[in-house]
Amino acid sequence: MRVVHYVNQFFGGLGGEEKAGAPLESHEGAVGPGKLLEQLLGIDAQVVLTLICGDNYAVEDQESMIAAALQKVRAANADLFVAGPCFLAGRYGMAAGALCSVVQSKLSIPVIAAMAKENPGADLYREMLYIVDSGDNAAKMQDALTRLASLAKKLIDKKVVGLPKEEGYIPRGLIRDQFVEKTAAQRLVEMVLAKVKEEPFESEMMPTAFAPVPMPPGIKDLKKAKLMLITDGGLVPKGNPDKIQGSAATRWGSYNIKDCADLSGDDYEISHGGYDPQFVRQDPDRLVPLDVMRDLEREGVVGELYDEFLSTSGLANPLSNTRRMGREMAEKAKRLGIDAIILTST
Amino acid sequence: MVGSNRVVLGNGIVHVLGDAKASADEEKKTRRQLVQKALEALQRDDE
Repeated sequence: MRVVHYVNQFFGGLGGEEKAGAPLESHEGAVGPGKLLEQLLGIDAQVVLTLICGDNYAVEDQESMIAAALQKVRAANADLFVAGPCFLAGRYGMAAGALCSVVQSKLSIPVIAAMAKENPGADLYREMLYIVDSGDNAAKMQDALTRLASLAKKLIDKKVVGLPKEEGYIPRGLIRDQFVEKTAAQRLVEMVLAKVKEEPFESEMMPTAFAPVPMPPGIKDLKKAKLMLITDGGLVPKGNPDKIQGSAATRWGSYNIKDCADLSGDDYEISHGGYDPQFVRQDPDRLVPLDVMRDLEREGVVGELYDEFLSTSGLANPLSNTRRMGREMAEKAKRLGIDAIILTST
Repeated sequence: MVGSNRVVLGNGIVHVLGDAKASADEEKKTRRQLVQKALEALQRDDE
């Protein structure tokens, strides 16, 4: 079993936060926790390559880092790719998740990450990947690696993977059919009775939880503010050049409105299956209020409107898409120095 | 959720910032009012 292992600068032995800018490097053989991982995976497992990258570099140069790492994993003929355990290190967890999902989709080999369930990488990638819950304590490294190794062996041997609680990975939201003793009605009544008696019970399906996002403070000086318009109503230029899907969209676009004071129905179309588009087709300002924003800009009420509006379709869109797209849009807005965004939705 | 601090209720689903029943001028007034509500919300701190 040829294993490639990804770790950050700290676990890779380069140093602490001062080495967070370290670019991607490769080492033959196991490094740091990789050595224990190798042992736990068994006698015919070998960490043939360890990839080490500084947390800041991994986040700031993510695309190029991932492309380079992918090549190395491919060249190493890996049978298994492991990233982490990242514990609570947020940048590490995000990089590990991003790298794992690319390796998984491009190379179709078993891939496992490990991090604390509160790690932002966990929330973003748990639906796509097996992520072992390492907890937040790096002193529990052995425990995390033991569970990771055990799950990895199941994936390699293509054995049936048990429930998250059994195997120690973060729930993925996957649904699997299974025969059980009691009917749904019986199980439901038992749950209700337990709840009424204030006894513990376990829900079979967990509602999606949203980690609370602290609200940024209000804009202090609107007259100097740089604003951006975003919509999830699926407004796209005629011809839908980016082929944004009307439902469960995986893509978003950024469309030029420079020197434009009014959106015209002739120039746009709607890629969104969830509402009657005729009114927005007649006048797209009914969805993306460009005309009003230009007036406010001209009157000096707001500082400036950014030259493009961002758009996608929010219809029937799973969180695995929208979380990623939201993050990407936010990154763009941040890079452009946008102070505030108005997001319009149908 | 609508009613939360920075979520402004639009004018229906099919013309969130419009009004198909109104004249063009009226509609633009409505749109401006809604955008201004949004701008006010953006200037307020967490409540």
